[in-house]
Amino acid sequence: MDEEPERAKRWEGGYERTWEVLKEDESGSLKATVEDILFQSKRKRVIENHGQVRLGMMRHLYVLIDCSRSMEDQDLKPNRLASTLKLMEAFVDEYFDQNPISQVGIITTKNKRAEKLTDLAGNPKKHIAALKKAVDTLCVGEPSLYNSLNLAIQTLKHMPGHTSREILIILSSLTTCDPASIYELIKTLKSLKVRVSVIGLSAEVRVCTVLTRETGGSYHVILDESHFRELLMLHVKPPPASSSSECSLIRMGFPQHTIASLTDQGAKPSFSMSHLDNSSGPGLSLEGYFCPQCHAKYTELPVECKVCGLTLVLAPHLARSFHHLFPLQAFTESSVEELQEDRFCQACQGELKDKIIFTCPSCRSVFCVECDLFIHDSLHCCPCCIHSQSTS
Amino acid sequence: MASEDEINLLVIVVDVNPIWWGQQAQREPELTLSKCLDAVMVLGNSHMAMTRTNKLAVIASHCQDSHFLYPNKNWRGGDNGGEDASSSGDGKYELLSVANNLIAEEIRNVMTKTEVRGNSTETLLAGSLAKALCYIHRVSKEVEVGQEIKSRILVVKAAEDCARQYMNFMNVIFAAQKQNILIDACVLDSDSGLLQQACDITGGLYLKIPQKIALAQYLLWVFLPDSEQRSQLVLPPPAHVDYRAACFCHRNLIEIGYVCSVCLSIFCNFSPICTTCETAFKIQLPQMVKPKKKKLKQST
Repeated sequence: MDEEPERAKRWEGGYERTWEVLKEDESGSLKATVEDILFQSKRKRVIENHGQVRLGMMRHLYVLIDCSRSMEDQDLKPNRLASTLKLMEAFVDEYFDQNPISQVGIITTKNKRAEKLTDLAGNPKKHIAALKKAVDTLCVGEPSLYNSLNLAIQTLKHMPGHTSREILIILSSLTTCDPASIYELIKTLKSLKVRVSVIGLSAEVRVCTVLTRETGGSYHVILDESHFRELLMLHVKPPPASSSSECSLIRMGFPQHTIASLTDQGAKPSFSMSHLDNSSGPGLSLEGYFCPQCHAKYTELPVECKVCGLTLVLAPHLARSFHHLFPLQAFTESSVEELQEDRFCQACQGELKDKIIFTCPSCRSVFCVECDLFIHDSLHCCPCCIHSQSTS
Repeated sequence: MASEDEINLLVIVVDVNPIWWGQQAQREPELTLSKCLDAVMVLGNSHMAMTRTNKLAVIASHCQDSHFLYPNKNWRGGDNGGEDASSSGDGKYELLSVANNLIAEEIRNVMTKTEVRGNSTETLLAGSLAKALCYIHRVSKEVEVGQEIKSRILVVKAAEDCARQYMNFMNVIFAAQKQNILIDACVLDSDSGLLQQACDITGGLYLKIPQKIALAQYLLWVFLPDSEQRSQLVLPPPAHVDYRAACFCHRNLIEIGYVCSVCLSIFCNFSPICTTCETAFKIQLPQMVKPKKKKLKQST
């Protein structure tokens, strides 16, 4: 029946003497070990496999949020729903920062039904506004995994083959109410190449284990709020593209930003196409981006032109994803005593006070711990390697 | 009360490409590298004189390397023991005179000791900006709890852009935007598309100086006020930034192009294989419409 290797559950393993990890030094203080533990957790993020793996850059992600009665539990402050929505706002921001040409949609499920909170869109503002409004929703009934997955599939199956189709479920209830067999739906998901991941807020549920295993996603259960945030942020990075996703050339438009002032001859104010649906926001405006194919105006990019269907982006949007394609290699650790010359970090010009220093393998420059973290998290390029590139 | 003051950190990145400055000295002797650094020192002194908690850093961007002119590795801040050179005879605020002397000494060291390899007139700004960001990151970690620090970077650019540093430059710009660091640009000679994009994305000011001799005046007028005070001044209008992408095959600016879904390279024409990542693309063939067979109605 089950081919998966049975992992040993935590209660089946031996006793873990967790108190032995902390060691006191001579004066009885734990400061050194605490710092060491924090340092190791920081380094864990940096040491990743930067192999030449093809990543799925254009992602269509649906987030399913459980709004059933168990979300009113107060083990996450102030209650699970409020905490989840706040973390989702941060997630949406980070997501569009790392994947500017991808799209996100939000679906909620409660009372055995599912409904769309926001459609798949590339603009973070709409999602954040909807999330803020959703804090007041009433949490009733049971969630329905089948209905919400079905709703997501109906849009995802029309998406082009070169994009990655993903679903992230935040499930807090231990039960689900489905009108038909969910194992059939799992087969459908597999055939449509949709990757489903689950973050559980209560405990591990077998259906979710099977769902994520069959579709190739990940399943985690949170320990506390900071762990929740960590697990959410794991899904921000583009996942490795599955071998079956097609690669194609996507036709995109790069509009120019036109700013016309009232004194210009022939400057005509016009409506933006994104404001046709809602009447909020300014109506007529002089500046904006004009689609190169049909001259429809838009105020914010990236967007898919409603008139002609062309995807409109700016060059920096594509540039934002370049660091995923050319990742910075991890620096080698060494001890500071081995350094013969002056003990200065070559990036920030600070003294090397820590015991560990990092060396870039290509240009052999020395960096301190903080600079190493900063370079790998935000900068994605070695400051000294840039200089040596010029002479080559 | 002093701990509630905001710290404003200004990092000035000066382009000291010796080939460009050498040619400039022959073209227009009125503006030489020493005059440019005088103007930068005036700006630095004014910035430090605005508030006691303001901080300054100056980086010189050479062809192959960048050096911190101020603060210097060998100079410990607040070390007053036996520094005769620092006390100026005319009663100037000691911090300003120390800064000026250090900058002058360091730039002399940099220009004499750094050897120039190759004859490129292009400057590698991306490396200097990356070092500036690391420095800002370190300083923001070292402030006391409760003190806020606001930073900005001013780039004084002389030579032309180097096209090879596009990707590193964009990485640096996005890192600065995430940390809310403004990048301003003061351009002496030729317009720089990269710096225009940097100023637009991070929210800074871009200015190409009409008269190079008046560099000090422009620096003090436009670039001395910080971001809060700028809303109350009438400053030069933002430049029109061209955000069109350049295609990888011909380097032309295009309005509609084709983007490879794997490596995000941009092409102007459809081609079956991506030249960067060598993936073969699936070509969408138009669907064949089969002619429907008409069923013969059986007349009863």
